[in-house]
Amino acid sequence: MIGKGPRVTRSNIDPISLEILWNRLIAVVNEQAAALMRTSFTTIVRESGDLSAGVFDTRGNMIAQAVTGTPGHINAMATCIHHFMDVYPAETLKPGDVLITNDPQKTSGHLHDFTVITPIFEGVRLVGFFGNTCHALDIGGRGMGTDARSVYEEGLFVPITKLYDEGLENAELLKLIAANCRAPEPVIGDLRAQVVANDVGGRYLLRFMDEFGLESVDPLTDEIIRRSEGAMREAIAKVPDGDYTNEVYSDGYENPVKLVVTIRKRGDRMDVDWTGSSPASAYGINVVLNYTHAYTTYALKCALAPDVPNNEGSFRPVTVSAPKDSILNAQHPAPVCGRHILGHFLPGAIFGALAEAMPDRVLAEGAANIWSTQLSGPRDDGSVWTYVWFSTGGTGARPNKDGISATAFPSGISGVPAEVIESLAPIHFHRREYRTDSGGPGAYRGGLGQTVEFSVNTGEPYTFSGLFDRTRHPAAGYAGGEPGALARITLGDGTVIDSKGARELGPDMSISLGLPGGGGFYSAFERDPEAVLDDVIDGLVSVDAARSRYAVVIDSERMQIDSEATRRLRAGTSEGGRSGGDE
Amino acid sequence: MAGKPVRIGVDIGGTFTDVLLFDATTGAFHIDKVLTAPDDPSSAVGDGVASALEKADQSGASVDHVIHGTTLVTNALIERRGAPTALITTRGFRDAVEIGREHRYDLYDIFLEMPKPLVRRRWRLELDERIAADGTMLQRVDPSQVAELVRQIDDAGISAVGVALLHSYRNPENEREVGRLISELAPHLTVSLSSDVAPEIREYERVSTTLANVYVRPLVDRYLADLRDELQAQKIESDLLIMLSSGGTCTVDTARSYPVRLVESGPAAGALAAARFGSELNAPNLLSFDMGGTTAKACLIDGGEPTISTEFEVSRMYRFKKGSGLPVKVPVIEMIEIGAGGGSIAAIDNLGLLKVGPQSAGSEPGPVCYGRGGTRPTVTDADLILGYLDPGFFLGGDMQLDFEAANAAVREHVATPLEMTVPAAAWGIHQVVNENMANAARVHAVERGKDPRAYPVFAFGGAGPVHALGVAKILGSSEVIAPAGAGVLSTVGFLSAPLAFDFVRSFRGLVDELDWNELNRLYEEMETEAQRVLTRAGVPEAELHLTRLAELRYAGQGHEITVELSTGGFSDQSARDIASRFDAEYERLYQRSAPGNPIEAVNWRLLVSGPSPDLPLRQLGGCDEPGPAEAAIKGRREMYIPEWDGYHTAPVYDRYRLGPGLSFQGPAIIEERESTVVVNAPADVWVDSLRSLRISTS
Repeated sequence: MIGKGPRVTRSNIDPISLEILWNRLIAVVNEQAAALMRTSFTTIVRESGDLSAGVFDTRGNMIAQAVTGTPGHINAMATCIHHFMDVYPAETLKPGDVLITNDPQKTSGHLHDFTVITPIFEGVRLVGFFGNTCHALDIGGRGMGTDARSVYEEGLFVPITKLYDEGLENAELLKLIAANCRAPEPVIGDLRAQVVANDVGGRYLLRFMDEFGLESVDPLTDEIIRRSEGAMREAIAKVPDGDYTNEVYSDGYENPVKLVVTIRKRGDRMDVDWTGSSPASAYGINVVLNYTHAYTTYALKCALAPDVPNNEGSFRPVTVSAPKDSILNAQHPAPVCGRHILGHFLPGAIFGALAEAMPDRVLAEGAANIWSTQLSGPRDDGSVWTYVWFSTGGTGARPNKDGISATAFPSGISGVPAEVIESLAPIHFHRREYRTDSGGPGAYRGGLGQTVEFSVNTGEPYTFSGLFDRTRHPAAGYAGGEPGALARITLGDGTVIDSKGARELGPDMSISLGLPGGGGFYSAFERDPEAVLDDVIDGLVSVDAARSRYAVVIDSERMQIDSEATRRLRAGTSEGGRSGGDE
Repeated sequence: MAGKPVRIGVDIGGTFTDVLLFDATTGAFHIDKVLTAPDDPSSAVGDGVASALEKADQSGASVDHVIHGTTLVTNALIERRGAPTALITTRGFRDAVEIGREHRYDLYDIFLEMPKPLVRRRWRLELDERIAADGTMLQRVDPSQVAELVRQIDDAGISAVGVALLHSYRNPENEREVGRLISELAPHLTVSLSSDVAPEIREYERVSTTLANVYVRPLVDRYLADLRDELQAQKIESDLLIMLSSGGTCTVDTARSYPVRLVESGPAAGALAAARFGSELNAPNLLSFDMGGTTAKACLIDGGEPTISTEFEVSRMYRFKKGSGLPVKVPVIEMIEIGAGGGSIAAIDNLGLLKVGPQSAGSEPGPVCYGRGGTRPTVTDADLILGYLDPGFFLGGDMQLDFEAANAAVREHVATPLEMTVPAAAWGIHQVVNENMANAARVHAVERGKDPRAYPVFAFGGAGPVHALGVAKILGSSEVIAPAGAGVLSTVGFLSAPLAFDFVRSFRGLVDELDWNELNRLYEEMETEAQRVLTRAGVPEAELHLTRLAELRYAGQGHEITVELSTGGFSDQSARDIASRFDAEYERLYQRSAPGNPIEAVNWRLLVSGPSPDLPLRQLGGCDEPGPAEAAIKGRREMYIPEWDGYHTAPVYDRYRLGPGLSFQGPAIIEERESTVVVNAPADVWVDSLRSLRISTS
C-alpha cells in the first residue's frame, strides 16, 4: 500500500506527506485558475487577471487558492463562502448544484464581481467546494463609476441563488442577466467559464483523493490550517504588545475621507479596528466590511508572514472591525462600485501603524488605488464605443530598496499595452512615461508615478470617467522619507480637474493623467549621492530636485557630482534641519 | 541534403563540449566529450571534432555540415555580458520596456525586485514619429533628429542600437528609415529593428525582444566567426548550421542577425531528440523530462512534435516565477522549467515542513557530497544516501562522492528537526522534489488541455533517469523511457533537426472582415523571404515544406490558439474554412466551442522546413553482442525501496552490456558513464530496439 502514497488519517500526517498533499492541492487550484483564464471572454480576466480561484473543505474553510489573482477577491472569497452556506446549508446541496451571487455585502464589495461556488461530491457525499470570483465586463446600471447614489443604480443584483440545480442550468437567470448587460455575450461567456473552472478543480480533487485514499480532505485541511494559524500566531507574537494607530486621507468624492486604524496587539493575536474613519459617502466609493477584511488581512500577511499560506488559519489570529455605516462598513443599499479606491488605501494605513514596531517589514505609502479610466462616445457612423483600462502609480520605498515605479500595489492586476488599447478603441496615446520627480525623496526613493496622455480620434465628443485619487493627499514617506508627488489630472486646455466623476469633453480635448508617486524611506540627505546622480542622468530626478530635496549638487554640464558643494550643503542642512537646500 | 556522408552535432555546455558524429557510409555514430574552456567556449570544438573525425576515420572534407547549439545567448543575457546598447523609440514611450505590465509577479513579497531592462533609461532615446494602430503613417521620421541621436550614441561609445517604434509590426516604414539612416551615418553600429526581430503587437514584449537581440549580436558575431575558424582549421569547409529555440536550424548569417532566436537552443535540442526517439519507437506522445543540476525542464511531445510557443522569459530571477524575467517573443519549443535539480537545497520552512529548492547549490559549491564546500543538503545528497548513486562511479568514476558528509548534512538540517531517521529524511527530499516536478509538469499539460497520464516519461539529463520513475508514478503515466546516450542527447537533437525557419506578421481583424488581398500579400512576402533563406542554405525548392499558421481567438478573448491553414491564395471563401478549423481546434482543447462567436485573427505565421534527416538511432549507445541480462550485472548494492519500506540489495547493471530484447525485474540500478537509471520498485524493465530502457510503472 505504501507505494500508493502517504496515508492520511487524523492522527498520522507527517510533515513530508503533508507537504506533498498540500502542494497537490495548490496544483489543483492552479489547474482551476488556468482553465478559467484560458476560456475567459474578457481581457479584464485574461490580461488584467482580475479574478481568484480557491478550494474549501466541507465546513467552508478556505484551504488554498491559485497563485493568480488579486487580494480583494481572494480574501473576500474566503469569507463569502459562509454566506452561501447560510442560505444553502451543506446538507441541502446536491451533486450538480452551482451557486452564484454578486451581493456586494457578502462577497467582494461591488456588483461587478460574480462569485461562483460549486459543491463537490464523491457519489452523494459532499467533499468540499470550489469557488472563483471574476470581474464581469458589465452589470448594467450606470456602468463602472462612482456617481451612483445607491446600489440600485449600480446595476443588476443577483442574490445568492442557484446557477445550476442538480445539473440543470438556470436558464431564466441567465436570460435576466443577459438582458441587463450592455455586453451580454462576454458576461454570460465568463459565467460559463467560471462554472467550467470549478468543474475542472472538482475533477482533479476527486482524482487526488482517490490516489491517496482520502475519505475526506477535512483532516488534511485541519492540519494545514492548524500549522498556518500557528505560524501566523508565531509571527504576530514577535511584534511587541501595544496599540498601534495611524490615519491616512483620500480625496474622497464630495469630501476628503479619513481612514483611522488601531491595531491592538496582545500576545499572539491582533484586533484591527477602523473606528474613527469617515462616515459612509453618498457616492459609490463605500467599502463593505468583507472587502475591508480582505485588504486588512492581506496587509498583515505581507508585513508579518508573506510565506505563510493564505487560508482560514492565517486569518484566525486577526479580527477586523469597522463601525456600522462608516465608509469601511457601508450597509445596503449604499453605493459601492468604486470600493477598491479606499480598499487599496488600507494596506498603507496598516503599514504606517506597524512602522513604529517593525520598520524593516513595511513599505512607505504608495499611489494606493489602481486608476481606472473609462472612455465612451459615439463614432462618426453613429455607433457607440466604450473602453476601460487601469493605470498605476509608484509604490512606496522599502527600508532597504527603492519603491517600484508604475506598478500596482496592493492590487494584483496587470496593465494593458498601449498598442492593444489603440487597436481596440479609438484612443491615441501621446505618452506613457515616468513622471520626473514624482518619487518621494528618501535614502530609498519612492517609486515614480507615470504620465499618461491621450486623446480620442473619432472627431466626436466623448465621455471621460475616472476613478482616481491622491490629488490632495500625497503618499507619505516613512522614517524621515518625504511624500511622493500628488496626482494631477489636466485637460488639454490646461484645466485641472477632480479625481472622480464623469465629464463630457469636446472631440479635440486631450487628457493628461499624472499618477502619484510613492513615499520615500529614511531621510533624503542620507541617499548615496551616486544614486542621486544616477537618477538625474536617467531623468527620474531633476537637477533642481537633486539639490533642493536631496542636497546633492550636480554640475549639469558635465553630469558630475560637485562633492565639495554637496558636502557643504549636506553639512548645513543637517544642522539646520531639512528645510535648506535652495540657495 | 545530399552530398557528403558525415554530419556532426556540437553542444557546448558549461562543463563539457559534446561532439556527436554520424557517418552515413558506415551508419555509425562516434561520440566525443572534451572539457569546455570557460573563457573561450569555441576553442574545444576543434579538438572534439578532430578527435571524432579520427575515430570515424574520416576527414574534414567529407563533412556535409556541422550543427551547433549554444547556451551563449542565454548566459550572456543572464550575466549581462552583452554590448553597450541604446534604444531608439517613439517619443513618450521610452519607459514601456521598464513599466512592463505594471504587475508584481509575487502577491505577498513586498521586497521583490522587478526585472531590469537591458538598456538604462539614459540610453533609451526618443524620436518624433508615429504610425497609427491600423498602420497609417501619421508622422515621418526627421533625418536630422536621427543624426543627432546617432551622434550621441557614437560619442558615448555605444555599439549596438535597437530600434522599436509604436505599431511598427503593422507598418515598418519609419523603423526602416531609421535603420537606413543609421547604416549611412554610422555603419559600424550594430542595429536591430523590432519589425524584423519580433513583428508582433505589444510594445513591452517587442522592445524587450529587440533589445535582447541587438545586445547579444556583437558577442554572437565574434563567437560564430571563431567557431567557423575552428572548423576551417579541421578542413571543414561546409556549412555551419545553428539550432534555433524552435527546434529548426538556420544558417550562420541568420543566427548573426537574430541571435535571440537561439536563446533556448540547447534545451530545444533535448526535446527534439525526445521527439525523434518517440517517432522511431512508435511512441509519438511523450513527456520529455530533463533534470540537471539546478533546474528540471518538461516538454510535451504530441504526435511526434514538440509544441512551439512564442511566450518566453529569459533570466527569471525570482524562483523561476513568471514575470520575473525578460520577455522574449520568439518561437521556442514550449517547456516548463522549475527550480528542481540535483543541486536543489532541502530545508525546513517556518511551518516546520520540508521544502526542496528552488535555491540551489549549483555546481559550485555543489551538493555536500561533492566535497567542494557545500554544507546544505541537496537532492543529490539524498539520492546518494538512498543508494541511488554510487559514490565510486559518479561520472564513470571520475569524481568521488562523500557519503558521510551527505549523511551528516541531511541529519543536521532535515532529519533531526523533523525527528526522523536520515533515510526517511532522504526519502522525503527525493519524494518532495519529485512532487514539485510532477506538479509543474501536470499544470503545464493541463494548461494545454492534455491529460498527463497519457504520456510516457522520457528521461534524460544528469538526474532525470534517477527521478523519472517517481515522477511518472505521481503523474499516473504508464512508463518511463530512458534512452541510450542520455549524456549527449542534445547532440542527437541537433542531428535530428530539419533546416527550418519561421516568419510572422501581425495583421489583426475579424476573420469575417479581413482584407484577403493584404493577407495574400503578407504571405507572398514571407514565402519569398523564406525561399531565399532556405535555398541559399542548399535546400532544393522541391523539398521545401511550407506550413501556414494563424493565431486566432474569439473576439474579446485574450488568448490565441494556433490553427493550421490551407495553402494557396486566400479569398472570401477562406473565412468559413478558417472558422471551422478554429472551432475544431478550440473544441479539442477545451471540450466546447462557441460557434457563431466572431473570430479574430492576431498573427499569421509561416513555417518553412527542409526534409528531416535520416538518423539510425539504433546505432547509438554501445553493445553489439548482448548476452543474457544476468551477464550485465556488474555488482549489487543496497538501495531504498519505498514499497518495501526500507533498504534492499539490488543488482547494478552495466548499461553498455544490455542489448535489445532483454528484460528483467526491478529493483535495479543501470549505470552508464554520464547517468544512472534508478528502478526503485519491483517493476518490469525491458530493452527496446533503440536500446532504451522501458520501465513499467504499474
